[in-house]
Amino acid sequence: MKIVIASGKGGTGKSMIASSLAILISKKRKVVACDCDVDAPNLALWLGITKFDEIKKISVSQKAFINQEICKRCGKCKEYCQFFAIEKVNEEFKVNQFLCEGCGVCKIVCPFNAIELREVESGEIRINYSAYDFPVISGFLYPGQTGSGKIVELVKKEIERFEYEIAILDAPAGLGCPVIAALKDADYAILVTEPSPTAFLDLKRILKLVNHFNLQYGVVINKFDLNEKISDEIESFVSKNLLGKIPYDKRIVDCLISLKPAIFVKEVEKKIKIMLSELFSRI
Amino acid sequence: MQIIASTGGKGGTGKTTFAILLAFKLVKEGKKVVLCDCDIECPNCYIILNQELKNGDSLFRFFPELDRDKCKKCGLCSKVCKENAILWVRDKFPIFFKEICSCCGACWIVCPNNAIKKKAEEAGKVFYNKINENFWLVTGVSNEKISETGPLVRQVKEKAINLAKRIDADFLIIDTAPGTHCNVIQALMNCDKVYAVTEPTPLGAHDLKLILELIQKLGLKAEIVLNKAGLGKDELIEKIAKQFETKISFRIPYSEDLMKAYSRKELHKVEIL
Repeated sequence: MKIVIASGKGGTGKSMIASSLAILISKKRKVVACDCDVDAPNLALWLGITKFDEIKKISVSQKAFINQEICKRCGKCKEYCQFFAIEKVNEEFKVNQFLCEGCGVCKIVCPFNAIELREVESGEIRINYSAYDFPVISGFLYPGQTGSGKIVELVKKEIERFEYEIAILDAPAGLGCPVIAALKDADYAILVTEPSPTAFLDLKRILKLVNHFNLQYGVVINKFDLNEKISDEIESFVSKNLLGKIPYDKRIVDCLISLKPAIFVKEVEKKIKIMLSELFSRI
Repeated sequence: MQIIASTGGKGGTGKTTFAILLAFKLVKEGKKVVLCDCDIECPNCYIILNQELKNGDSLFRFFPELDRDKCKKCGLCSKVCKENAILWVRDKFPIFFKEICSCCGACWIVCPNNAIKKKAEEAGKVFYNKINENFWLVTGVSNEKISETGPLVRQVKEKAINLAKRIDADFLIIDTAPGTHCNVIQALMNCDKVYAVTEPTPLGAHDLKLILELIQKLGLKAEIVLNKAGLGKDELIEKIAKQFETKISFRIPYSEDLMKAYSRKELHKVEIL
């Protein structure tokens, strides 16, 4: 079973909750934890991992290269590129590698066969065992590379190498391709929010996506006591889909600084355990 | 006009808070400012500025549409699609998966039978709000289920640049999405200065390195904003600032008052920069 932790807004506490759940569930069941936030992968840090045993370099995209000796400067490539990746610099057409998605349209339309596509190293898949004896798989997109959704798909394939009952997937912020890739074929979504007007709005946005995939879901309100009025509004909005509420506790930051999981704070552990039994009563 | 971005890699570090505080500061100094929300998957500036999004202009993308009368089921479209967004089985019509389509156009260009039409569909919207005489907000919003948001960010930013030129603004402030991929890259391109907003935790530090690396690769000028200073360990960020030879321009102390002002939509009352 695959459980995805998502939120829309960043910084609501997805990785904190994903790491806590993974540790607690691993005491009774086989767990794989998986970081799908390939732009800013932080799950491993929450699990105290700073080095990886296994690092696989991966290529998920190609980039276009224009051979200036063959190019006749017709500009057709620039005209057809939907990603604004081809620029005219001093009469020469150049591919901006940061914007090229490797779709190959320029190569297809070039009448002189002056463009080739080359594989590029886009990122890494990093694997290590946590101190709690379950595997942690992290996807990592090199800054400036494209194809975050595809890396998420590869990360999800790696899960199947391991024997597991429950895979915990930590999704990135936002609603775009890496989030869609994380939610696709998941069994359950835990949506983490906090009591601010913006996090509430982003919860409603991610819900549209979750409902599109027909996913069963539960909502966790993190730091709920920072604004109990908005927290109550969220609670009545999600009604029976509420999984739990976690109070703000500065000691969570202290845990993070010393690379210890948040459940080292006993009160936090208690709240997450309650949330977990609620979760298991539903799935 | 100067174009300034507020970004950060990690989510929730205070990109939006900083962008708005900076905008108010400049407006109070008598400057004309356009703030552009380029976090089009989850735009939040307008909420904090207490604005409503009304009467926006549509942003279009071209999606493929199959003409079954013309399609000879050759499968070439599926072969050229690098996103694997077209499923084709021999002797069957191809099936298009819009959620993963990047709108690149390869399929309709290669189709030998002219059976794939490009169909303009609304993929998002852009909204304009005048906050006061010297302060405008431009907000981009992508529709859900749109996977490739980079090109839309480009469109939103172009519209904000046009507005800024028209009203002769002194500053265009760009608030980006978290992360380091295409939607953020489009927002950062050609900015005169990029503020990387971070927090003093190992996560903030880890993601700050990634965004600084990106800013460097793009050849842009970076400065650091250390938000929630004092909450964790400021040295973590100071170390990276040194390593990247980047200045920490602002330190915003961790304060529950600031968090309250944010959730009460009262950032204009805060003078902290």
